[in-house]
Amino acid sequence: MAGLFDYTPAVVLLPFLSFLIAVGVAISGRDLLPKGGAVPGIAATAGSFLLSVALAVAVAGGEVYNETVYAWAGGAVPGTEGLELTFGVLIDPLSALMLVIVTLVALLVHVFSLGYMNDEGETGLPRYYAGLGLFTASMLGFVVADNLLMAFVFFELVGLCSYLLIGFHFREPGPPSAAKKAFLVTRFGDYFFLVGVVAVLATFGTGQFAGPESFPVFAEEALHGEHAVNTFLGLGEETWFTVVGLLVLGGVIGKSAQFPLQTWLPDAMEGPTPVSALIHAATMVAAGVYLVARMYGFYAVSPTALGVIALVGGFTALFAGTMGIVKRELKQVLAYSTISQYGYMMLALGAGGYVAATFHLLTHAFFKALLFLGAGSVIIAMHHNENMWDMGGLKGRMPVTYYSFLAGSLALAGIFPFAGFWSKDEILYETLVHGLGGQPLLLVGYVFGLLAVPVTAFYTFRMVFLTFHGDARTEQASSPEPVGWNVKGPLAVLGVLAAGAGVVNLAPVRVLTGAHVDFLHGWLDAGFAELTVHHYEEIDPYSSAYIGGEATTVLVGAAVSLGLALLGLALAYKLYAVPTPTEHTAKLGSVRDLLYDNYYQDEYQVFLARRVVLPLARAADTFDRSVVDGAVDATSSVSLFSGSRIRRIQTGVVSNYAALLTLGLTVLLVLFGVLGGWLL
Amino acid sequence: MVPAQYYLVLSAAIFCIGVFGLLTRRNALLFLMSVELMLNAANVNLVAFSLYWGNVTGQTFSLFTMALAAAEVAVGIGIILVLYRNFKDVDVTEATTMRW
Repeated sequence: MAGLFDYTPAVVLLPFLSFLIAVGVAISGRDLLPKGGAVPGIAATAGSFLLSVALAVAVAGGEVYNETVYAWAGGAVPGTEGLELTFGVLIDPLSALMLVIVTLVALLVHVFSLGYMNDEGETGLPRYYAGLGLFTASMLGFVVADNLLMAFVFFELVGLCSYLLIGFHFREPGPPSAAKKAFLVTRFGDYFFLVGVVAVLATFGTGQFAGPESFPVFAEEALHGEHAVNTFLGLGEETWFTVVGLLVLGGVIGKSAQFPLQTWLPDAMEGPTPVSALIHAATMVAAGVYLVARMYGFYAVSPTALGVIALVGGFTALFAGTMGIVKRELKQVLAYSTISQYGYMMLALGAGGYVAATFHLLTHAFFKALLFLGAGSVIIAMHHNENMWDMGGLKGRMPVTYYSFLAGSLALAGIFPFAGFWSKDEILYETLVHGLGGQPLLLVGYVFGLLAVPVTAFYTFRMVFLTFHGDARTEQASSPEPVGWNVKGPLAVLGVLAAGAGVVNLAPVRVLTGAHVDFLHGWLDAGFAELTVHHYEEIDPYSSAYIGGEATTVLVGAAVSLGLALLGLALAYKLYAVPTPTEHTAKLGSVRDLLYDNYYQDEYQVFLARRVVLPLARAADTFDRSVVDGAVDATSSVSLFSGSRIRRIQTGVVSNYAALLTLGLTVLLVLFGVLGGWLL
Repeated sequence: MVPAQYYLVLSAAIFCIGVFGLLTRRNALLFLMSVELMLNAANVNLVAFSLYWGNVTGQTFSLFTMALAAAEVAVGIGIILVLYRNFKDVDVTEATTMRW
């Protein structure tokens, strides 16, 4: 099957090809392709999906692949080992799984776009499909990247594509501004990532993720004194690894919208809804979490970095959830739920729950894509009015959307037995047992995560009840526009996945019955020895402890989180599942304003930019103009002035020149005489 | 035989006269003459040392100097002609257009 792996770059190149075709059509300015260029995109992502599935099957057969495809720069300073910058492909269980997720979601989003963009008569469709194609291609390139630098390159491309797509409706005032914000905020994190990449290359001389010559392996050996690495700033090896890990984490926090760089994501809702689905479920936001999982061996050797990841994740999960409670727009609620769910994944990674995080990444990709596409369907029906208070009663009028959306919501809220329940429960379980094993920091993260559970359930079902239940509150809601097969099809596929994807990893069932039903665990425990789950468990600093026994802990944890989720659901049911709901959030008073204005984070970030960064930049500018430029200008004016004086000896009178010559000769003679000793 | 020092003193005197002429005169033709004096002072030196060491190389060299001087005069006269055409004068202090 080695032949199959040679086609791996095609997974990335197919969507790129569709991008090129769409760009060609856009440049030609004519309506060359039917459906505005959607067909090449659908064909390409379908091809990528099939190839990814084939790869996943091959990986399931125990094969892995790690090859350098192209070395684009290389060199060595004499006396060092040298450095080669390459593009390569790494296919192991993690990347194969991610490939399937990304290509599947991208395919469904392309199909959905037929309904959302084409049927709604949008203009600029070739541009839209070009963006989607490049977005998918960049994300796939990032997923198969075999080294950190290549990952960084595609990470940046993903950011660029998000800019292009969020700002798709560039003639309106909102989208361009949101696009710029997304780009700048994630760029801010990426600066740290870039420094981190350079630091990794300088420290280990390689950015490879897998193999005996990879930097996670080197880091592990260095801590055992078996491999020499370059550390900087006079720091010890472990401290330095923590610093490097946190630098790379900067990029992760920006892309995965973790506190404090999450502000771009809610604004990114200005983009077309299918794009939001793609960004949230499979591409941009997932990239950050995937990066941490990809280089988990490196983070596992640094307890401090893990602690920071866990704490940031847990805090974000709760923090973003509270803001979702009061939003009026459908997509805003979903945006905050995304931030919150990625917070859970970060919490899991920080708490040593590598499988749990990957599992949640998988289930979240399905149910969040589903929720966004469902929201898109509602938005079509409502003629692009996103305010939930103008909806209501859509349940009977669009049943396919309602039931698939409900499945996604149950999964998001973590209700048994939907997919989200299993993954979220495993995250909380891993955090709890590792926290009990002597890590009080993780217990703090656990409390955050647990508190976020009822909040999630509440805002999710507030959204469901307001949108679909009760009486129609506007004309539009009582006679929604019907949606086509291209909307319902993706919804049905994702609805099934959101309901049932949990079966891939029923870890609690394994603990209780002993049956080997935690397939994902086994899946991620294959492939390269240094990238397997049990290897990570060996090197991470955590140990487990239980309340009573393992089975008791599983049951207690699951019962508590499910109970809290049902509590949130029940509260939402009581408040909003009535024929004419009212805005109960008003009772919160000033807290509501605080939440509605996102804890004034935009304001304080603008304040930081205006009052701190701008004066600093001005001061630097002044310094540059006065001191640096001053020194340069002084040199030139001294030269100019002395030149203007000295040139006056050029009188043009030959006699003067003769006199000067004679004088010079005399001086020389006298000088030689004195120095030579035959005069005086 | 006349000692070498006498020739050297003579040569130094002729050279100084040449320099003096160069520095004080304004007529271009007198410039040429002064230069001729200086060159010949050098010739006297060459011949004197040649005689002193009994080696003809110095005398050969002075022949070259004469050829050089002839060439120099030819070029110099040419320059003076051009100078006269442009400035209607052979006063070197008049031609000061090539200045700062």
